[in-house]
Amino acid sequence: MPRRRGLVISNRQMRLVDDILDKLRQVSGSRFIALVSTSGQPITTSAVEGHPDTLTLASLAAGSFAATQQLAEVLNEREFTLLFHEGRESNLHVAQVTDQVLLVITFGRETQVGKVRLYTNRAIEVLKPVFDLTDEDDQASVMIDDDYSLLADEAIDDLFADME
Amino acid sequence: MPLINFAAREINYKIVYYGCGLCGKTTNIQYIHKKVNPDARGKLVSIATEEERTLYFDFLPLSLGTVKGMKTRFHLYTVPGQSYYNASRRLVLQGVDAMVFVADSQITRLDENVESYLNLWDNLLDQGDDLTKLGFVIQLNKRDLSDIFSADDMRDLLNHTGSPVIEACALSGIGVFETLKTVCKQVIAKTGQG
Repeated sequence: MPRRRGLVISNRQMRLVDDILDKLRQVSGSRFIALVSTSGQPITTSAVEGHPDTLTLASLAAGSFAATQQLAEVLNEREFTLLFHEGRESNLHVAQVTDQVLLVITFGRETQVGKVRLYTNRAIEVLKPVFDLTDEDDQASVMIDDDYSLLADEAIDDLFADME
Repeated sequence: MPLINFAAREINYKIVYYGCGLCGKTTNIQYIHKKVNPDARGKLVSIATEEERTLYFDFLPLSLGTVKGMKTRFHLYTVPGQSYYNASRRLVLQGVDAMVFVADSQITRLDENVESYLNLWDNLLDQGDDLTKLGFVIQLNKRDLSDIFSADDMRDLLNHTGSPVIEACALSGIGVFETLKTVCKQVIAKTGQG
């Protein structure tokens, strides 16, 4: 089995994704939406005002979601495609977009779970094809070149200087 | 291959510290968190049991700053070491770009080291990773203790890949940053190779 390819997000994809997330946030009445990778890394967010620590949120949401997939395996279920946490003031909904991308949504009492789920499912159908666009690979090879490697190498030396 | 976000101009690399229970993975991450420039690090997240054994993972994001216009970050993770937590280890390994295998140098931990080392490669092969694209560094930890294997013996035992091997005492910080620096440089070099 070949290794799953890395995730590369182009400007065009991000414009489409941001537009979809903003619309989803508005119609669903949710407070905060993040798109994260299944390996725990944030891709983009849409928020009414302020937002949580996205780096931590991404790693924990991806970890929790992965755990639910293991639960599905234990229960001989093919897959669990969403995860839901209900709180006193806010709720968390995590749903799978592609095998590499998850949608994380927080919302409060100002909206309803059913409404959020309905619009989230619709948004996922629109989001999926965006990640099939493959015009970014050439851009990746241009940007992540020898020059980048050299400069990153120097930056690593600087960051960890005098740490031994 | 890391997560590359051209719109946000960000690159995130995932580095996982692997090894048997109590070998010093979390100690490495805690030392890095304590010593590195606070502006360059995010919050240290640990999901541990009451006895401070890692239950799920530790997570520490490190920022390298902007390199050629791209914000570059390393996301450091540890896995739970005990053998019965393999499902959690597999989850943390998803999308990994490089691993640090932390080996406990004590003679009494031989079996656990070997079991964990084999388990790492089993899990990587199971998830279909192209192992030649991944960075890999071996850290020989607890070199300050008595009753330990020689570094040469441990190399023979655990380094079938010919990877860099670094001697360390994570508790006092010896070798911690040398390990981190080596693995960070490896992932950058591997990405450059395409």
